[in-house]
Formats: sequence, C-alpha cells, structure tokens
Amino acid sequence: MRVCDDLDFGIAREWLAENPGRKACGYLPVYAPKEVILASGLLPVGIHGGGDRLEIIRGDAFYQSYICHLPRSVIELAQTGRLDFLSALLFPSTCDVIRNLSGMWKVMYPDVVVRYLDLPQVTGTETGGLFWEGEMRGLLRDLGAVSGRPAGEDDIRQAIRLCNSLRSMVRELYRVRRERPWAVPTEELYSLLRAAEVVPVETFLDKARAYLAAAEEQPGARKDKSRVIVAGAFCEQPPLGLIKTIERAGCYIVDDDFLLGNRFLMSDVPTDGDPVRQLTNALLHDTVRSPVLFEASQDGKRRLMKERVEAARADGIIFAAASFCDPALLDRPMLRAGAEADAIPCIAFQFSENTGQFQQFREQAGTFADSIKLWGDNE
Amino acid sequence: MSTTKAGAPVLTAGIDVGSSAVKAVVLASGEGGEKILSHAAVRIRKREISVVIDQAFETAVEMAGANELHYVASTGEGEDIPYATGHFYGMTTHARGALFLEPRARSVLDVGALHARAVAMNGRGRVLNYKMTSQCASGSGQFLANIARYLGVSQEDIGPLSAQSAAPEMVSSVCAVLAETDVINMVSRGISTPDILRGIHDSMAGRFVRLLRSLDVEGVAFFSGGLAGDVGLQAAIRDALSSEFLGKTAPVELVSHPLSVFAGALGAALWGAFRYRKLDLGGAAWTSKATA
Repeated sequence: MRVCDDLDFGIAREWLAENPGRKACGYLPVYAPKEVILASGLLPVGIHGGGDRLEIIRGDAFYQSYICHLPRSVIELAQTGRLDFLSALLFPSTCDVIRNLSGMWKVMYPDVVVRYLDLPQVTGTETGGLFWEGEMRGLLRDLGAVSGRPAGEDDIRQAIRLCNSLRSMVRELYRVRRERPWAVPTEELYSLLRAAEVVPVETFLDKARAYLAAAEEQPGARKDKSRVIVAGAFCEQPPLGLIKTIERAGCYIVDDDFLLGNRFLMSDVPTDGDPVRQLTNALLHDTVRSPVLFEASQDGKRRLMKERVEAARADGIIFAAASFCDPALLDRPMLRAGAEADAIPCIAFQFSENTGQFQQFREQAGTFADSIKLWGDNE
Repeated sequence: MSTTKAGAPVLTAGIDVGSSAVKAVVLASGEGGEKILSHAAVRIRKREISVVIDQAFETAVEMAGANELHYVASTGEGEDIPYATGHFYGMTTHARGALFLEPRARSVLDVGALHARAVAMNGRGRVLNYKMTSQCASGSGQFLANIARYLGVSQEDIGPLSAQSAAPEMVSSVCAVLAETDVINMVSRGISTPDILRGIHDSMAGRFVRLLRSLDVEGVAFFSGGLAGDVGLQAAIRDALSSEFLGKTAPVELVSHPLSVFAGALGAALWGAFRYRKLDLGGAAWTSKATA
C-alpha cells in the first residue's frame, strides 16, 4: 500500500515503535506551525481525512447534512482507533466546523492534548504579532509537557532549518511542475506531498530528491493541453481520481491549493534572533493569500486570481471547492468575478473527499480544455 | 487551410476510441482544403485496448502512405494514447467532423455502443449545448446488439430487416431490461423479426428525438456514431422527427453519411490541424519506425 493511502498511519506507528518514549502530534488543515511540534521532539502527522477509502458510519452521526465531509471522516478515523497513536492534536482556525471538532475532541478524548489555534487576522506587531507569539509560546509549553522535553531556542532554530528545507523542496517541486507539467504530473506530485504529511521530514526530503531526479531523467512526453489553476481545495482534499480526471481530460494543473499548509509560509524563516518571533513575523508578513486569513485590501481578492494566472502562465481556472466548505465557497464569487473581469476562462464545481463518480468532472474539464485550445482567442 | 512552414500539406491523424471499436482517420490539410487520405475501424472484441488502438492507427497511416504526421489527436476514451499530441473531448470532435461531412448541420445526434448524445453547434463547429442519455442501456448500440443476438440476426442485417416491417410491435422505451423481456414475449407470441426490430428502432428513436428536442435544434441534424449506418434506425428517427416536430415551422432533417462512424476521428484530425497551425509547432509529431 502506498504511504499516502494508508489510513492506519503505518509509517508513523513504525516510527513510534522504533523510538520508544517519543510521541506524535497530529494537525488538521490548513496551517499549524510544524516547527513547534518538531522542536518539542514530537512527530508531526497531518490529518487530512479519510478520502474515498473509508466508509463513514459513526462520523455521520456527529454532523448535520449541510456540513462538509472532512470532519466526518476524521471522527470515523478516531472512532475506529486509527488515531489512537496521537498524543496531541492541533485544530487550526480554518472554519467553525474545525473549531467545533476541537471541542468534541476534548470531550471524547480527554487523554489527548487538544489545542485550537486561533490564527491572527490582523498583521500589526503589537496586536496580531503579540497574540500569535503568545499562542506559540503556550503551544511550546503544552507540547513540551507532552514530550517531556520542553523546546529550547536551539531546538526551535533546528526545527526551522528543517522546515525551511521542506518548504524549499515544495517550492522546487511546484516550480518544476509549473515549468514542465508533463514531467511532474499533479497526480504524482500530490501523492508525494500527501505522503509528506505522514512521514518524518527527512524521509520526505530523500524521496522528493529522488523523484525530481527521476523526473529529470524520464520527463515524459509533452502534450497539447491547457494550463489550469485548480483553486479552492485547501482544506478537504479532492480524491486522487478527480486530479487524474482533470489531467486526463486535457489539462495541465500548473498551480493549486492542495495541502496548502506545506507552503503557507512562502519563504525561508530566518534562524537568527528570537526564533518564536521570527516564526511570528513570517506568519504576519510572508504567508500565501488564502481564505483562512483576512484580506485587508479592498480589491485584493478580485486581483488575486489574475496574479496567480500570470505567475503560473495559466490559461484558465478551475474553481474546485469541497461541498459545504464555507471559506472556499464564500470567497469563490469574489475570486471568480475578478478573474472574469480580466477575461480569464473559468469553470467551477464542487466535490467531496469521497466522490467516486468523475464523469461529470471529465465532461466539464474536457470541454473547458477544448474551449481554451480551440476558441480561446478565436471569438 | 493548414500548410507546414515549407508549404507542404499538414498531415494529421484522429483516433476515436469508442466502447466497442476504435476508429482512425488520416487527413491532409493544404491550400486546396482538407482531404481524407484514409480511414480504418477495428472492433475491440475483448482485446487489450492499446493493441486495438495501435492496429487502427497503423492501418490508417499505412493506407494513407504517411511516413510522418504533424499532429496526432485522440478523442473518446483515448486520453492515454502515448503518441497522441493532444486530446479533444468527444462532443467537440463529433461537431467538427459532422460539419465537415455535412456543412448544413447545426446539430449532431451521436449514438454509440454505450451512449447517445445530442449536440447543438454553430456554423463553425463550436458546441453550444448538449444532452446525453443517462446511465441507461436502452438508447445504445450495445442494447441493439444484444437484441440481435437473442433473435439470431447479424448486426449488418438489423437495418434491412427492420425496413421490411409491416406492423411494428412497440417495446418499452424506458428500460432495456423490460424491453428485453418484451422481446422474449414477442418471440413466443410469433411476432416476426422485422416487426420486433422496427419496434425496437421506434423505441430508441423516440428517446433520441426527445434528446434533440430538448436542445431546441432546427435545420439539419447530422447522425454520427456506430449506429448511424443502420438504415432501419435512420428511418425510425426520420418518422419520429416528422411526427414529433409536426406543426413546427422549422422541421429537423436527419442526415447521415457513409463516413458517419468516423465523425469523431475526423473531427479530431481537423482540430489537430487547427492546433498545429495555431501553435506554429513546425516539424513532425510522429514519425513511422521505418523512417525513424
């Protein structure tokens, strides 16, 4: 079984077995400071739902029909014992559903250290900065108690260096795909990055280097396809079949929001000075623009897609949001209106992580790719 | 018109991978317009699909005498053909192929082994709207093939036998399973094979006409896909159209063509030539092993 498909988190469990006394800390989408987890001596494990390989029985009992699928499958994972190796779990402030899930976790799993992470929505140093710095210091204290090894400044710097390597590798993978999408199909890139969420960072870096070398050596044949951005799937993840369907239908995905937390901080975090303050400054001033952070500029969201299209040299945008995903679906009208005002071709659909029928997506993506290729500047 | 930078005709191939057969067309586009150089169709018959694709493609290329192609376009289920330059969606290619074979066409009725769809288009082959049958077998070629097998009739004889019908016996137009039960009952009641077949054609025709009507199409509708050559089905659709559109000012005329089954592959080859010119690709996208 591929690591990215393993709902029993076998690699993490092996790591714990090989490192007696060590513990693991999970985190939900979108952004959690992995550096704090690593500095505390814990194994960070991304919890991104059960995808299309998990039958939901207990999870549905916890949520109304108008709630997205991700929390149902996370509950299902927990209720079936698949998350019993986690000693702590972080719930970032992605939406109200994730917030409520953190409360449910506290009630149901009192032995697990649960922290809800309220990301700062203002970027002032004396306001959002002070708040987030306090949050991280509190988190360091709590996770230090879990591991029994409170992090010192050098531990945090070392973790920042490791995460800088991780971010650098993710940026490189995205750059190569942007330049030569036929050499790095998104189906492969996504599987690699999904695996990165559940294995030690060093393991991922080794695998990613090998993958890039293989992509360089056997790049695959270039095809006549439309270059598209897939926007909106930053929390609940699409099934791999949907990504494959979009690519097979005649599109090269050249930018996306999948697993956005792995590149939430856009550049390397400096390792000099106070490391917690450096992490704080990075979150305040160097984050990717996404629906989970406040957009201060009046027309920032309307400009965003044009900027992304230009950066990726894309031909069009596929807005693909999870059903009932409030942050994505509330932003979509603004993002799409801005894109269409700039004459950027767009289509939109919704998915669920357990979507199993792809014919309608195939039709939409196929006709979209054709319309770009055949009629893009012809009518 | 498309020519290479050296002024030679652009040679393109279209490969349409269907549910029961693979069709391939080789096309030359030059100053004098587009010319079909060859076409080949190979039935899949439970064989490895890549083998059938290669066979259809190589046959068409060999018949055309082409040593190199400037664009190889796939359509239908052919997304994974490794030597294809690009892929076009089925509706896009059937519309373009229909327009080439019948310039008056403004809609397409495409009936294949496992689906039927109606496509409305403009005078340049751009798809304006479409409707497909849902996941139901009663409007498909596979259903007709099953019935023919029960009746002991070869597929080639279905159309001519249907045309001999004097008193068509209606079958369920809703469900293939019910229709098959109807047919078994008819056989036991001694209904003649031509009347049974025409009843099935009428049942299918009713579904197809409803598809076309849902798009509000007018004028010429081009009949494409694997069942387009079935003269019995053609007659049933024409009859259904004339009665369904009775009283309308612009009736729909159904037109078929000897190359109707190749409309998808042809459309792909035509769009391939368009893309070759638009991208200013230059050079060959595919070269025969003998030349290479």
